Amino acid sequence: MVRAAPIPGKPIQIKVFPSRLLQPETAEKLLNEIDQVKGVIRMLVGGKNLPRKVTCGPGTGSDVNHPNREVIHVGDIAFELHVMVGEVIVEVEDESSKEELIRACERALPFPFEFKQGFFIKTKATLVDYGKYGFKSKDDESINLEDERMLGLIDPHANPESNLCIVAGEGK
Amino acid sequence: MAYKPQYYPGNTSVAKNRRKHMSDDVEKMRDISDEDLTALLGHRAPGADYPSTHPPLSEIGEPACPVREVVAPTPGAAAGDRIRYSQFADSMYNGPATPYWRSYHAAINFRGVDPGTLSGRQVNEMRERDMEEYTKRQAETEITDWGLSGLRGCTVHGHSLRLQEDGTMFDMLDRRRLEGGVIVSDKDQVGVPIDRKVNLGKPMSEAEAAKRTTIYRVDNVSFRSDKEVVEHVQKVWELRTKYGFVPKA
Repeated sequence: MVRAAPIPGKPIQIKVFPSRLLQPETAEKLLNEIDQVKGVIRMLVGGKNLPRKVTCGPGTGSDVNHPNREVIHVGDIAFELHVMVGEVIVEVEDESSKEELIRACERALPFPFEFKQGFFIKTKATLVDYGKYGFKSKDDESINLEDERMLGLIDPHANPESNLCIVAGEGK
Repeated sequence: MAYKPQYYPGNTSVAKNRRKHMSDDVEKMRDISDEDLTALLGHRAPGADYPSTHPPLSEIGEPACPVREVVAPTPGAAAGDRIRYSQFADSMYNGPATPYWRSYHAAINFRGVDPGTLSGRQVNEMRERDMEEYTKRQAETEITDWGLSGLRGCTVHGHSLRLQEDGTMFDMLDRRRLEGGVIVSDKDQVGVPIDRKVNLGKPMSEAEAAKRTTIYRVDNVSFRSDKEVVEHVQKVWELRTKYGFVPKA
Protein backbone atom coordinates (compact mmCIF):
# COMPACT_ATOMS: atom_id res chain seq x y z
CA MET A 1 0.00 0.00 0.00
CA VAL A 2 1.41 3.37 -0.93
CA ARG A 3 1.27 6.39 1.23
CA ALA A 4 -1.43 8.62 -0.13
CA ALA A 5 -2.02 12.27 0.42
CA PRO A 6 -5.29 13.29 2.04
CA ILE A 7 -8.19 13.16 -0.40
CA PRO A 8 -7.97 16.22 -2.66
CA GLY A 9 -10.80 18.59 -3.51
CA LYS A 10 -14.26 18.25 -2.03
CA PRO A 11 -15.27 14.62 -2.23
CA ILE A 12 -18.91 13.73 -1.75
CA GLN A 13 -20.44 10.57 -0.36
CA ILE A 14 -23.41 8.73 -1.83
CA LYS A 15 -25.41 5.88 -0.31
CA VAL A 16 -26.96 3.46 -2.80
CA PHE A 17 -29.82 1.66 -1.04
CA PRO A 18 -31.61 -0.95 -3.21
CA SER A 19 -35.18 -1.94 -2.41
CA ARG A 20 -34.11 -5.60 -2.16
CA LEU A 21 -31.19 -7.40 -0.52
CA LEU A 22 -28.79 -8.33 -3.30
CA GLN A 23 -27.78 -11.79 -4.46
CA PRO A 24 -24.00 -12.13 -4.96
CA GLU A 25 -24.30 -11.92 -8.77
CA THR A 26 -26.19 -8.62 -8.62
CA ALA A 27 -23.83 -7.27 -5.97
CA GLU A 28 -20.85 -8.19 -8.14
CA LYS A 29 -22.42 -6.47 -11.14
CA LEU A 30 -23.24 -3.36 -9.13
CA LEU A 31 -19.76 -3.06 -7.59
CA ASN A 32 -18.12 -3.52 -10.98
CA GLU A 33 -20.35 -0.89 -12.56
CA ILE A 34 -19.54 1.54 -9.75
CA ASP A 35 -15.85 0.70 -10.06
CA GLN A 36 -15.98 1.82 -13.71
CA VAL A 37 -17.26 5.27 -12.76
CA LYS A 38 -14.60 7.93 -13.05
CA GLY A 39 -13.68 9.58 -9.79
CA VAL A 40 -14.60 6.84 -7.33
CA ILE A 41 -12.28 7.02 -4.32
CA ARG A 42 -13.62 4.27 -2.08
CA MET A 43 -16.66 2.07 -1.49
CA LEU A 44 -18.09 0.64 1.70
CA VAL A 45 -20.23 -2.47 1.29
CA GLY A 46 -22.81 -3.04 4.01
CA GLY A 47 -25.50 -5.64 4.56
CA LYS A 48 -26.79 -8.48 6.65
CA ASN A 49 -24.26 -10.76 8.27
CA LEU A 50 -23.84 -14.27 6.89
CA PRO A 51 -22.13 -16.20 9.68
CA ARG A 52 -20.04 -19.31 9.08
CA LYS A 53 -21.47 -21.09 12.12
CA VAL A 54 -24.62 -20.93 14.21
CA THR A 55 -23.74 -18.64 17.10
CA CYS A 56 -26.63 -19.10 19.51
CA GLY A 57 -29.30 -21.55 20.55
CA PRO A 58 -29.19 -25.35 20.73
CA GLY A 59 -27.55 -25.54 17.29
CA THR A 60 -24.51 -23.48 18.31
CA GLY A 61 -21.45 -24.54 16.36
CA SER A 62 -23.27 -26.09 13.39
CA ASP A 63 -22.06 -25.01 9.96
CA VAL A 64 -24.39 -22.61 8.16
CA ASN A 65 -22.99 -22.94 4.60
CA HIS A 66 -25.06 -20.02 3.36
CA PRO A 67 -25.16 -20.15 -0.45
CA ASN A 68 -24.81 -16.38 -0.68
CA ARG A 69 -21.44 -16.37 1.05
CA GLU A 70 -19.69 -16.43 -2.30
CA VAL A 71 -16.42 -15.21 -3.74
CA ILE A 72 -17.07 -12.32 -6.13
CA HIS A 73 -14.73 -10.52 -8.51
CA VAL A 74 -14.56 -6.75 -8.52
CA GLY A 75 -12.05 -5.12 -10.82
CA ASP A 76 -8.86 -7.11 -10.58
CA ILE A 77 -9.45 -8.77 -7.24
CA ALA A 78 -11.63 -11.46 -5.72
CA PHE A 79 -13.03 -11.52 -2.22
CA GLU A 80 -15.58 -13.46 -0.21
CA LEU A 81 -18.83 -11.75 0.68
CA HIS A 82 -19.47 -11.86 4.42
CA VAL A 83 -22.82 -10.13 4.09
CA MET A 84 -25.91 -10.15 1.94
CA VAL A 85 -25.36 -6.75 0.36
CA GLY A 86 -27.97 -4.19 1.38
CA GLU A 87 -26.21 -0.90 0.71
CA VAL A 88 -23.11 0.52 -0.90
CA ILE A 89 -21.61 3.81 0.22
CA VAL A 90 -19.49 5.42 -2.46
CA GLU A 91 -17.12 8.34 -2.10
CA VAL A 92 -16.44 10.22 -5.32
CA GLU A 93 -14.12 13.09 -6.06
CA ASP A 94 -16.80 15.69 -6.77
CA GLU A 95 -20.38 16.34 -7.89
CA SER A 96 -19.55 15.68 -11.54
CA SER A 97 -19.48 11.91 -10.95
CA LYS A 98 -23.03 11.73 -9.56
CA GLU A 99 -24.86 11.39 -12.86
CA GLU A 100 -22.56 8.65 -14.06
CA LEU A 101 -22.96 6.86 -10.72
CA ILE A 102 -26.76 6.92 -11.00
CA ARG A 103 -26.56 5.48 -14.51
CA ALA A 104 -24.18 2.74 -13.30
CA CYS A 105 -26.66 1.76 -10.56
CA GLU A 106 -29.57 1.78 -13.03
CA ARG A 107 -27.64 -0.57 -15.31
CA ALA A 108 -26.83 -2.99 -12.48
CA LEU A 109 -30.03 -3.00 -10.44
CA PRO A 110 -33.24 -4.46 -11.88
CA PHE A 111 -35.35 -2.81 -9.16
CA PRO A 112 -35.67 0.69 -7.62
CA PHE A 113 -33.03 2.07 -5.29
CA GLU A 114 -32.50 5.09 -3.09
CA PHE A 115 -29.63 7.38 -3.99
CA LYS A 116 -28.76 9.64 -1.09
CA GLN A 117 -25.97 12.16 -0.70
CA GLY A 118 -24.69 12.74 2.81
CA PHE A 119 -21.89 12.11 5.27
CA PHE A 120 -21.58 8.37 5.83
CA ILE A 121 -17.87 7.57 6.18
CA LYS A 122 -15.67 9.58 8.50
CA THR A 123 -12.84 11.50 6.91
CA LYS A 124 -10.92 12.58 9.99
CA ALA A 125 -9.18 10.41 12.56
CA THR A 126 -10.97 10.06 15.90
CA LEU A 127 -9.79 9.01 19.33
CA VAL A 128 -9.98 5.24 18.63
CA ASP A 129 -7.96 5.71 15.44
CA TYR A 130 -5.24 7.52 17.37
CA GLY A 131 -5.45 4.78 20.01
CA LYS A 132 -4.85 2.14 17.35
CA TYR A 133 -2.38 3.84 15.01
CA GLY A 134 -0.82 6.59 17.17
CA PHE A 135 1.00 9.73 16.04
CA LYS A 136 3.49 9.76 13.19
CA SER A 137 6.27 11.05 15.43
CA LYS A 138 6.91 13.21 18.43
CA ASP A 139 6.96 16.27 16.21
CA ASP A 140 4.16 15.28 13.83
CA GLU A 141 0.83 14.70 15.55
CA SER A 142 -1.01 13.55 12.42
CA ILE A 143 -2.25 9.96 12.43
CA ASN A 144 0.32 7.26 11.81
CA LEU A 145 -1.45 5.67 8.86
CA GLU A 146 0.04 4.97 5.44
CA ASP A 147 -3.18 5.69 3.59
CA GLU A 148 -5.77 7.93 5.20
CA ARG A 149 -8.45 6.60 2.87
CA MET A 150 -8.65 3.62 5.21
CA LEU A 151 -10.25 5.81 7.88
CA GLY A 152 -13.88 4.89 8.41
CA LEU A 153 -13.79 1.85 6.15
CA ILE A 154 -13.10 -0.70 8.86
CA ASP A 155 -13.19 -0.83 12.60
CA PRO A 156 -9.74 0.10 13.97
CA HIS A 157 -9.68 -3.21 15.83
CA ALA A 158 -10.60 -5.30 12.77
CA ASN A 159 -8.14 -7.18 10.63
CA PRO A 160 -7.59 -5.17 7.41
CA GLU A 161 -6.49 -8.26 5.50
CA SER A 162 -9.95 -9.82 5.54
CA ASN A 163 -12.04 -6.65 5.43
CA LEU A 164 -10.29 -4.26 3.08
CA CYS A 165 -9.62 -4.59 -0.64
CA ILE A 166 -7.65 -2.29 -2.87
CA VAL A 167 -9.34 -2.61 -6.22
CA ALA A 168 -7.41 -0.29 -8.52
CA GLY A 169 -3.77 0.68 -8.94
CA GLU A 170 -1.75 3.08 -6.88
CA GLY A 171 -3.03 6.16 -8.62
CA LYS A 172 -6.62 5.57 -7.58
CA MET B 1 -80.28 -17.52 18.74
CA ALA B 2 -76.88 -19.19 18.98
CA TYR B 3 -74.03 -16.96 20.06
CA LYS B 4 -71.70 -16.01 17.24
CA PRO B 5 -68.35 -14.60 18.30
CA GLN B 6 -67.43 -11.25 16.83
CA TYR B 7 -63.69 -11.46 16.55
CA TYR B 8 -62.60 -8.21 14.98
CA PRO B 9 -64.25 -5.14 13.44
CA GLY B 10 -63.64 -3.69 10.00
CA ASN B 11 -64.54 -4.16 6.37
CA THR B 12 -61.17 -4.17 4.64
CA SER B 13 -59.42 -7.33 3.43
CA VAL B 14 -56.95 -7.04 6.32
CA ALA B 15 -59.76 -6.95 8.89
CA LYS B 16 -61.44 -9.93 7.23
CA ASN B 17 -58.16 -11.87 7.28
CA ARG B 18 -57.71 -11.04 10.96
CA ARG B 19 -61.18 -12.45 11.66
CA LYS B 20 -60.30 -15.57 9.66
CA HIS B 21 -57.13 -16.15 11.65
CA MET B 22 -58.86 -15.66 14.98
CA SER B 23 -61.75 -17.97 14.12
CA ASP B 24 -59.51 -20.60 12.48
CA ASP B 25 -61.56 -20.26 9.30
CA VAL B 26 -58.41 -20.50 7.21
CA GLU B 27 -57.71 -22.11 3.89
CA LYS B 28 -55.38 -25.09 3.71
CA MET B 29 -52.62 -24.36 1.20
CA ARG B 30 -50.23 -27.32 1.40
CA ASP B 31 -49.55 -30.70 2.97
CA ILE B 32 -46.64 -31.27 5.31
CA SER B 33 -46.26 -34.80 6.65
CA ASP B 34 -46.02 -35.44 10.38
CA GLU B 35 -42.48 -36.81 9.98
CA ASP B 36 -41.31 -33.76 8.05
CA LEU B 37 -42.83 -31.44 10.62
CA THR B 38 -41.20 -33.34 13.47
CA ALA B 39 -37.86 -33.08 11.70
CA LEU B 40 -38.33 -29.32 11.19
CA LEU B 41 -39.18 -28.80 14.85
CA GLY B 42 -36.14 -30.80 15.94
CA HIS B 43 -37.39 -31.75 19.39
CA ARG B 44 -37.32 -35.53 18.81
CA ALA B 45 -36.35 -37.91 16.02
CA PRO B 46 -39.14 -38.49 13.48
CA GLY B 47 -41.00 -41.65 14.36
CA ALA B 48 -39.64 -41.80 17.91
CA ASP B 49 -41.93 -42.03 20.94
CA TYR B 50 -42.86 -38.89 22.78
CA PRO B 51 -40.58 -38.60 25.80
CA SER B 52 -42.61 -37.91 28.93
CA THR B 53 -42.03 -35.74 31.93
CA HIS B 54 -44.53 -37.55 34.18
CA PRO B 55 -46.62 -40.74 34.01
CA PRO B 56 -49.98 -40.56 32.19
CA LEU B 57 -52.63 -38.84 34.29
CA SER B 58 -54.74 -42.00 34.31
CA GLU B 59 -51.93 -43.81 36.16
CA ILE B 60 -51.17 -41.04 38.60
CA GLY B 61 -54.56 -41.05 40.27
CA GLU B 62 -55.49 -37.41 40.47
CA PRO B 63 -56.97 -35.92 43.62
CA ALA B 64 -60.68 -35.23 43.76
CA CYS B 65 -61.14 -31.80 42.21
CA PRO B 66 -64.28 -30.38 40.59
CA VAL B 67 -62.24 -28.37 38.08
CA ARG B 68 -60.31 -31.45 36.97
CA GLU B 69 -63.62 -33.22 36.48
CA VAL B 70 -64.96 -30.44 34.30
CA VAL B 71 -61.85 -29.81 32.19
CA ALA B 72 -60.63 -32.73 30.16
CA PRO B 73 -56.84 -32.74 29.78
CA THR B 74 -55.35 -32.25 26.33
CA PRO B 75 -53.86 -35.39 24.74
CA GLY B 76 -50.35 -34.15 25.52
CA ALA B 77 -51.14 -33.43 29.15
CA ALA B 78 -52.95 -36.76 29.56
CA ALA B 79 -49.91 -38.61 28.24
CA GLY B 80 -47.43 -36.60 30.32
CA ASP B 81 -45.55 -35.06 27.37
CA ARG B 82 -42.74 -32.60 27.77
CA ILE B 83 -43.38 -28.91 27.18
CA ARG B 84 -41.86 -27.95 23.84
CA TYR B 85 -42.00 -24.85 21.66
CA SER B 86 -42.32 -23.70 18.09
CA GLN B 87 -41.53 -20.19 16.99
CA PHE B 88 -42.43 -18.32 13.82
CA ALA B 89 -41.15 -15.08 12.33
CA ASP B 90 -43.17 -13.20 9.70
CA SER B 91 -42.01 -10.54 7.31
CA MET B 92 -43.42 -7.04 7.62
CA TYR B 93 -43.63 -6.99 3.80
CA ASN B 94 -47.17 -8.35 3.68
CA GLY B 95 -46.45 -11.50 5.64
CA PRO B 96 -49.75 -13.34 6.10
CA ALA B 97 -49.55 -13.36 9.89
CA THR B 98 -48.15 -11.19 12.63
CA PRO B 99 -47.07 -12.30 16.10
CA TYR B 100 -50.33 -11.04 17.64
CA TRP B 101 -52.50 -12.94 15.22
CA ARG B 102 -50.54 -16.14 15.60
CA SER B 103 -51.10 -15.81 19.35
CA TYR B 104 -54.81 -15.11 18.91
CA HIS B 105 -55.13 -18.10 16.61
CA ALA B 106 -53.33 -20.36 19.09
CA ALA B 107 -55.02 -19.13 22.25
CA ILE B 108 -58.56 -19.04 20.86
CA ASN B 109 -58.50 -22.34 18.98
CA PHE B 110 -56.18 -24.57 21.01
CA ARG B 111 -55.90 -25.51 24.67
CA GLY B 112 -52.91 -25.68 26.95
CA VAL B 113 -51.21 -22.84 25.10
CA ASP B 114 -48.57 -20.47 26.41
CA PRO B 115 -48.07 -17.93 23.63
CA GLY B 116 -45.21 -15.48 23.73
CA THR B 117 -45.86 -12.47 21.54
CA LEU B 118 -42.80 -10.43 20.63
CA SER B 119 -42.19 -7.70 18.10
CA GLY B 120 -40.75 -9.89 15.38
CA ARG B 121 -41.49 -13.44 16.41
CA GLN B 122 -44.09 -15.52 18.13
CA VAL B 123 -43.23 -18.47 20.31
CA ASN B 124 -45.71 -21.00 21.58
CA GLU B 125 -45.09 -23.47 24.36
CA MET B 126 -47.34 -26.49 24.72
CA ARG B 127 -47.27 -30.18 25.47
CA GLU B 128 -45.30 -31.77 22.65
CA ARG B 129 -48.04 -33.55 20.71
CA ASP B 130 -50.43 -30.62 21.18
CA MET B 131 -47.72 -28.29 19.94
CA GLU B 132 -47.18 -30.41 16.85
CA GLU B 133 -50.89 -30.35 16.06
CA TYR B 134 -51.00 -26.57 16.45
CA THR B 135 -47.80 -26.04 14.41
CA LYS B 136 -49.11 -28.25 11.64
CA ARG B 137 -52.28 -26.21 11.47
CA GLN B 138 -50.35 -22.95 11.16
CA ALA B 139 -47.77 -24.40 8.78
CA GLU B 140 -50.25 -25.91 6.33
CA THR B 141 -52.73 -23.07 6.09
CA GLU B 142 -52.77 -19.54 4.76
CA ILE B 143 -51.51 -18.32 8.14
CA THR B 144 -48.02 -19.17 6.90
CA ASP B 145 -46.40 -18.33 3.59
CA TRP B 146 -43.03 -20.05 3.71
CA GLY B 147 -41.50 -17.35 1.52
CA LEU B 148 -42.47 -14.56 3.91
CA SER B 149 -42.46 -16.58 7.13
CA GLY B 150 -40.11 -18.96 8.81
CA LEU B 151 -40.04 -21.54 11.59
CA ARG B 152 -37.17 -20.10 13.61
CA GLY B 153 -36.29 -21.32 17.05
CA CYS B 154 -33.37 -18.91 17.23
CA THR B 155 -31.71 -16.23 15.09
CA VAL B 156 -35.04 -14.86 13.92
CA HIS B 157 -33.44 -11.77 12.31
CA GLY B 158 -35.26 -10.92 9.10
CA HIS B 159 -38.85 -9.89 9.78
CA SER B 160 -38.19 -6.16 9.38
CA LEU B 161 -35.58 -6.38 6.61
CA ARG B 162 -36.06 -5.75 2.94
CA LEU B 163 -36.90 -8.94 1.08
CA GLN B 164 -34.26 -10.78 -0.90
CA GLU B 165 -34.16 -10.46 -4.67
CA ASP B 166 -36.14 -13.68 -5.04
CA GLY B 167 -38.93 -12.23 -2.87
CA THR B 168 -38.26 -14.34 0.22
CA MET B 169 -37.50 -13.17 3.73
CA PHE B 170 -33.84 -13.09 4.73
CA ASP B 171 -32.69 -16.04 6.82
CA MET B 172 -29.22 -15.73 8.28
CA LEU B 173 -29.01 -19.48 8.95
CA ASP B 174 -30.37 -20.49 5.53
CA ARG B 175 -32.92 -22.86 7.03
CA ARG B 176 -35.23 -22.61 4.05
CA ARG B 177 -34.68 -21.25 0.58
CA LEU B 178 -36.32 -20.94 -2.83
CA GLU B 179 -35.29 -23.79 -5.12
CA GLY B 180 -37.00 -24.48 -8.43
CA GLY B 181 -40.01 -22.35 -7.59
CA VAL B 182 -40.70 -24.01 -4.23
CA ILE B 183 -39.47 -23.36 -0.73
CA VAL B 184 -37.35 -26.19 0.65
CA SER B 185 -35.90 -26.63 4.09
CA ASP B 186 -33.00 -28.88 5.06
CA LYS B 187 -32.44 -27.63 8.60
CA ASP B 188 -34.52 -27.71 11.74
CA GLN B 189 -35.80 -24.56 13.44
CA VAL B 190 -32.50 -23.93 15.26
CA GLY B 191 -30.29 -24.35 12.18
CA VAL B 192 -29.13 -27.96 12.66
CA PRO B 193 -29.07 -29.91 9.38
CA ILE B 194 -31.69 -32.65 9.08
CA ASP B 195 -31.58 -35.84 7.03
CA ARG B 196 -34.16 -34.71 4.49
CA LYS B 197 -35.18 -31.85 2.25
CA VAL B 198 -38.69 -30.82 3.20
CA ASN B 199 -40.79 -29.34 0.42
CA LEU B 200 -42.81 -26.46 1.88
CA GLY B 201 -44.64 -25.61 -1.32
CA LYS B 202 -44.81 -22.61 -3.57
CA PRO B 203 -44.48 -19.18 -1.99
CA MET B 204 -47.33 -16.73 -2.47
CA SER B 205 -47.05 -14.20 -5.26
CA GLU B 206 -46.77 -10.55 -4.26
CA ALA B 207 -50.41 -9.94 -5.20
CA GLU B 208 -51.64 -12.95 -3.25
CA ALA B 209 -49.60 -12.03 -0.18
CA ALA B 210 -51.07 -8.52 -0.31
CA LYS B 211 -54.54 -10.07 -0.46
CA ARG B 212 -54.01 -12.50 2.44
CA THR B 213 -51.99 -10.33 4.80
CA THR B 214 -53.14 -9.29 8.28
CA ILE B 215 -50.81 -6.28 8.24
CA TYR B 216 -52.07 -2.79 7.58
CA ARG B 217 -49.59 -1.01 5.34
CA VAL B 218 -49.80 2.37 3.64
CA ASP B 219 -48.71 0.75 0.36
CA ASN B 220 -51.44 -1.89 0.58
CA VAL B 221 -54.46 -1.39 2.86
CA SER B 222 -53.84 1.47 5.23
CA PHE B 223 -55.01 1.36 8.83
CA ARG B 224 -56.72 4.76 8.49
CA SER B 225 -58.82 3.51 5.59
CA ASP B 226 -60.72 1.18 7.93
CA LYS B 227 -62.95 3.57 9.89
CA GLU B 228 -64.61 0.86 11.96
CA VAL B 229 -61.24 -0.44 13.16
CA VAL B 230 -60.03 3.06 14.01
CA GLU B 231 -63.24 3.67 15.97
CA HIS B 232 -62.83 0.35 17.80
CA VAL B 233 -59.17 1.00 18.68
CA GLN B 234 -60.01 4.48 19.92
CA LYS B 235 -62.84 3.11 22.03
CA VAL B 236 -60.58 0.48 23.61
CA TRP B 237 -57.95 3.14 24.24
CA GLU B 238 -60.49 5.45 25.85
CA LEU B 239 -61.97 2.76 28.08
CA ARG B 240 -58.64 1.44 29.31
CA THR B 241 -57.43 4.98 29.97
CA LYS B 242 -60.53 5.71 32.02
CA TYR B 243 -60.15 2.42 33.82
CA GLY B 244 -56.58 3.44 34.66
CA PHE B 245 -58.16 5.94 37.06
CA VAL B 246 -60.31 3.14 38.57
CA PRO B 247 -63.58 5.08 38.50
CA LYS B 248 -65.84 4.14 41.37
CA ALA B 249 -69.52 3.82 40.67
